[in-house]
Amino acid sequence: MDNITLGRYIPLDSPVHRLDPRAKIGAMLLMLIAIFIPAGWIGYAIIFAVVTFMVFLSKLSFTYIWKSMKPMLFMLVFLLIINVLVVHTGTVWLELGPIKVYSDAVIQTLYIVVRLLLMIMITTCLTATTKPLDMTLGIEDLLQPFEKIGVPSHEIAMLISIALRFIPDLIDETGRIMKAQESRGVDLKEGKLNEKIMAILSLIVPLFVSAFQRAEDLANAMEARGYQPGVRRTRYKVLKLKGPDYLLLAGAVLVLACMIWLAYFK
Amino acid sequence: MPIRFEKVSHVYSDGTPFRYVALEDVDLEIREGAFTAVIGQTGSGKSTLVQHLNALLLPSSGTVYVMDRQIIAGTEPKKLKSLRKDVGLVFQFPEYQLFEETVLKDVAFGPKNFGASPEEANKLAREALRKTGLDETFEERSPLELSGGQKRRVAIAGILAMKPKVLVLDEPTAGLDPAGAKKMMELFASLHKEGTTVIMVTHDMEQVFRYCEEVIVMENGKPKIQTDIKTFFRDSSLCRELNILPPALIRMKDALREKGYTVSDDTVDIKTLAKEIARQVKSHG
Amino acid sequence: MKAVEVEKLTFSYDQETNAVEDVTFSIEEGSYTTIIGHNGSGKSTVAKLITGLLEKKSGKVVIDGLELNEDNLYEIRKRVGIVFQNPDNQFIGSTVRDDIAFGLENRCIPQENMDDIINEFAEKVRMTKYLDKEPTRLSGGQKQRVAIAGILAMKPKILIFDEATSMLDPQGKDEIKKVIRNLHKDSTLTIISITHDIEEVIHADYVIALRKGHVAMSGTPQELFADTDQVRKIHLELPFALRMQEALAREGIHLGKEITMEGLVEELCRYDSKR
Repeated sequence: MDNITLGRYIPLDSPVHRLDPRAKIGAMLLMLIAIFIPAGWIGYAIIFAVVTFMVFLSKLSFTYIWKSMKPMLFMLVFLLIINVLVVHTGTVWLELGPIKVYSDAVIQTLYIVVRLLLMIMITTCLTATTKPLDMTLGIEDLLQPFEKIGVPSHEIAMLISIALRFIPDLIDETGRIMKAQESRGVDLKEGKLNEKIMAILSLIVPLFVSAFQRAEDLANAMEARGYQPGVRRTRYKVLKLKGPDYLLLAGAVLVLACMIWLAYFK
Repeated sequence: MPIRFEKVSHVYSDGTPFRYVALEDVDLEIREGAFTAVIGQTGSGKSTLVQHLNALLLPSSGTVYVMDRQIIAGTEPKKLKSLRKDVGLVFQFPEYQLFEETVLKDVAFGPKNFGASPEEANKLAREALRKTGLDETFEERSPLELSGGQKRRVAIAGILAMKPKVLVLDEPTAGLDPAGAKKMMELFASLHKEGTTVIMVTHDMEQVFRYCEEVIVMENGKPKIQTDIKTFFRDSSLCRELNILPPALIRMKDALREKGYTVSDDTVDIKTLAKEIARQVKSHG
Repeated sequence: MKAVEVEKLTFSYDQETNAVEDVTFSIEEGSYTTIIGHNGSGKSTVAKLITGLLEKKSGKVVIDGLELNEDNLYEIRKRVGIVFQNPDNQFIGSTVRDDIAFGLENRCIPQENMDDIINEFAEKVRMTKYLDKEPTRLSGGQKQRVAIAGILAMKPKILIFDEATSMLDPQGKDEIKKVIRNLHKDSTLTIISITHDIEEVIHADYVIALRKGHVAMSGTPQELFADTDQVRKIHLELPFALRMQEALAREGIHLGKEITMEGLVEELCRYDSKR
């Protein structure tokens, strides 16, 4: 359970950590769009260079990034196999008995791999350097314009931030319940189907019971401290864009423009 | 056969920024049939220590000997299931493990997992429920609608139904009211009397003083002190050194000694203490 | 002036049996009152009724001169704060700072004043060093201190502790009890503590003992525990000093009823020197 690294906030002090979450979310979206513009290998090289620079600035270790990508490896192998079986264009590079490996199959897989890799690096740059609460504040602010068409941006942000707040607690709880049931002879790895169903039930029912208890406690605590949903409240954390934030956004726009130029105007 | 820890270390999240050494080179022996208290501050490694006893946690290095099994790093011990049956582990707030539709089914869940037939399991469950003081009217009720104290008893019955030879308890009375806690402790004391080895993690010195025979003090992932209760509570000096509030009776003895009364180290109950005081008061008169 | 007046308060969770029935008591302004009783005696239910988190079936609750009803619920909650049992489930913010700010936001305190208020109350519970820490990095006692700061920052007149120490380790319990004692000493706050801790009870100004949803006994700790038979009858624990006195009485030494150990030892010395 404690090996999950993907999407976790890493408390460090770096220029990237100090950036405004709105700027980071905005830049991330721009970069994600950039990835999907078919700008060829030169384009990917540019994006890769920019993202590597960001990882370096954020003081995250590259082994950490590598670790967060590991779970994807299996998926990539799977993708390669599918592509090899399905794609039959280009030149034949390799013949394995009845299976012919075409160049396009390999190249297409590589494209996907590179895209995925970049996507993970970019999102990690955001999630690892932005406190969950700052993230929700950013989302709240970005959703503000949609309030007029009935999007309850504040409630959404509150919901997300509470969910985020309780994820570590629920992970702990899951671990505890698992251990308690294992102590009662539950085998989560082996066993017949009906035993497996029982095992899963013995985990899920207590988790629900405890989650409901938590929700009730939390609702009481929030109400007791004067929270009324839908009523105006002031906000402690006010976000303000500063020089580096504009720089980041400008950089992201530049990268995107660069990709568009490479893809359509060169 | 005693339980033995040999150079046992346990490291959580090794190789990540969250690496944490919970146990470091622990050497320890726990006598068979004893009622042993494991005490120490939060984060001292108490819970990690006891979770090695039924191989819920495997050592990062070193060996744990429990019954006739060896628990070592990396590989799950052979006969894991029978180990878990023999070493019953009751977690803190065990009521959170209840999930079945009825109390009886929930208590029978453990025995069934360990291969008992449904009839056998029900029989064991009924026995365990009686031990915890829940009569047959509880059997068909949903465990989720019981009171906190009753839920706790059902959860503990769920472990007792496995007929463990070693009972490991992690703060079993946390959150109970004093009357409920007392009943619970008396249950454990009676199981101990019947021959069960009981190991209890606790913060409650009154319980340690009253019910336990041996005490292990954990500090920073290592056992700092291991001794019998009598030595541990001879006076309050050891407690004070460890920053623990001694039991009321020990504090009383200290206060009396300060005022010039002589009190025997062996006095462990109010009645004897009252007699001792009375003797001295009368000799003054 | 009474901080809390409860009259014939009745409440039922399931419409069949009353969890709280005909409960009447009042709590003096500025006092430190403990409410004791077994699990299931209705203690926590009473706390939730006083703060309007549960809706009463019948009876009357008056807080700080204002009778609790649906319309003034939020006004009442400005005057009564409550610290709950589970340290994890009442930590709303993602850091200490944010958690204290949560209540201030609800009260629409201007943003520019918040930092001063947060610092002031973090200091009061000695959590200034931890302002930017996340809850997972805090001990149970520290989390409860944050909860207290968050509530104090909203400047209530009455503060309720609903078994706030029962899930803590001894160190955490001590921390919280120290905070409670200091609050009682240094402020005009009315403190109500629901507890099982007999040591805490004997140091309070008043005790209310509940049993099966009724008030079984009430008075100062001295008054309440003086009636040892009644205390036994309602299955409450006796303080050690009283059990010691009973044992001494059986040996022919009859002392006055002292509820603290220090008091008992002094009393014994007096008795001894008189002979």
